[in-house]
Amino acid sequence: MSAPIVYLDYAATTPVDERVAERMFECRTTAFANPSSNHAPGRRSRALIEEAAAALAKLLNVDPRTLIWTSGATESDNLAIAGAARHRAWRGRHLVTMPTEHKAVTDVFQMLENEGFEVTWLEPDERGRLDPETFRAALREDTQLASIMYVNNETGVIQDIAALGAICRDRDVLLHVDAAQAVGKIPIDLGELPVDLLSLTGHKFYGPKGIGALYIADRPGCHVEPLLFGGGQQRRIRPGTLPVDLIAGLGLAADIAAERLADDAAQVARLREVLWSGIADIDGLLVNGDPDGGYAGILNVSAAGVDGESLLLALEPLCVATGSACNSQSQEPSYVLRALGRSDSEAQASIRFSIGRPTTEADVEFAAERYRGAVARLREIAGGLAA
Amino acid sequence: MSADPYTAPVRALFADTAHSGDLPGGVAVVAEAQGVRVRLTAAVRGGRLASLRFRAFGCPHLIAACELFCRTLEGRAAAGLDGFSLAGIMRDLSVPVEKTGRILVLEDAVRMLRESIGDGPPSQSP
Repeated sequence: MSAPIVYLDYAATTPVDERVAERMFECRTTAFANPSSNHAPGRRSRALIEEAAAALAKLLNVDPRTLIWTSGATESDNLAIAGAARHRAWRGRHLVTMPTEHKAVTDVFQMLENEGFEVTWLEPDERGRLDPETFRAALREDTQLASIMYVNNETGVIQDIAALGAICRDRDVLLHVDAAQAVGKIPIDLGELPVDLLSLTGHKFYGPKGIGALYIADRPGCHVEPLLFGGGQQRRIRPGTLPVDLIAGLGLAADIAAERLADDAAQVARLREVLWSGIADIDGLLVNGDPDGGYAGILNVSAAGVDGESLLLALEPLCVATGSACNSQSQEPSYVLRALGRSDSEAQASIRFSIGRPTTEADVEFAAERYRGAVARLREIAGGLAA
Repeated sequence: MSADPYTAPVRALFADTAHSGDLPGGVAVVAEAQGVRVRLTAAVRGGRLASLRFRAFGCPHLIAACELFCRTLEGRAAAGLDGFSLAGIMRDLSVPVEKTGRILVLEDAVRMLRESIGDGPPSQSP
């Protein structure tokens, strides 16, 4: 019998909260009707969706009517970036982003480059942060859209969205924020933050997979062209029959997140400290990201002299990630860590620990012990060959 | 459950690398390619590979292949290294095709080891 796993990969995905699962099951059996239908069961489905929108809107401090349901953050990112860039092409064809964004963002910008848009890729500093003045200097008369992620999925680095958004407002540039790793984990007040478009997904904060949302600010000039066609749902921005169970699940997950935000943050910070204190004295250990200003739930480290793939196997039954889970089929070194100045071997040897709501102190103590042992063993097997 | 990139033999060999290490005074060679490095050390007595040890920097398949190589060849005649092919080991370990190039570093190391040992009396180099 194999040893029970210890899961520290909550940045890849989170388990569905039991209350969320119960709500979804209930919806599947009692609220199956199409929410676009005008009969009583349809109205019941519609009410559940409105309730979920209200919960998510409360978490973000926005009007529920500014939220568009999508299949997840990838679709939200695609819709926001391609949809806004095409809609505002009259304003200019210059766009700004960073190479450390998620592929759901960078791939869209590359597609737009092929459509004739010009993209400026802003490099982060060695800690992964974008200097607002560098950002300001990159904006031009014909810049119409910028996309900067809130919390980096590999390093946990938090960008200064308030400062970047203020610069965008000053220059009439739309700001899209990929907040997949931020929503439900850190406070986000879109009533205060100057953000025009914000992407999120349910499965990063104990909601279901396959459901996300895009916030579109109710401001003049802030609009996106649809990517999908075929119905009048959601103001034709994102047509298609809405999945009531998934939306209700996301709504409840948002409710729970709002209630637990402070407690979760305190617990995650405490457990990160336990984890870090257990590995900090390993020779040649590098922290990838901003050790002082990042999201505490993500700790990304590289140990010199070990192979990343072997390290991952040696760490079992500890479940962690090398680079992004979305990119784990590739053995290429993480492009995010390379952008932070890490060598190929340092990036390839990186391990991302990500802590979540169910994580216990015993979990992180086990992780630290396992990591120390695995690094020591692989260094022993390599016998200095990696130097 | 499928999609495990490692077969049971790979997992077992990776978990028990009894032959990782060095043999002071043995014949030692190092091969390197594609960021992968292998060091083989042999203690040769009476034309036999009395002891074999390895060091490896690379993926689990490489480490498992090194351990299996040492287990298989230890105690055999050094002449057994002639024309040694990794094909059998790669088949036994179900090495994915995309890793073949990196695993073949071990074959390079074996060839170098054979050349270092030569046909004459065992040479013992640092």
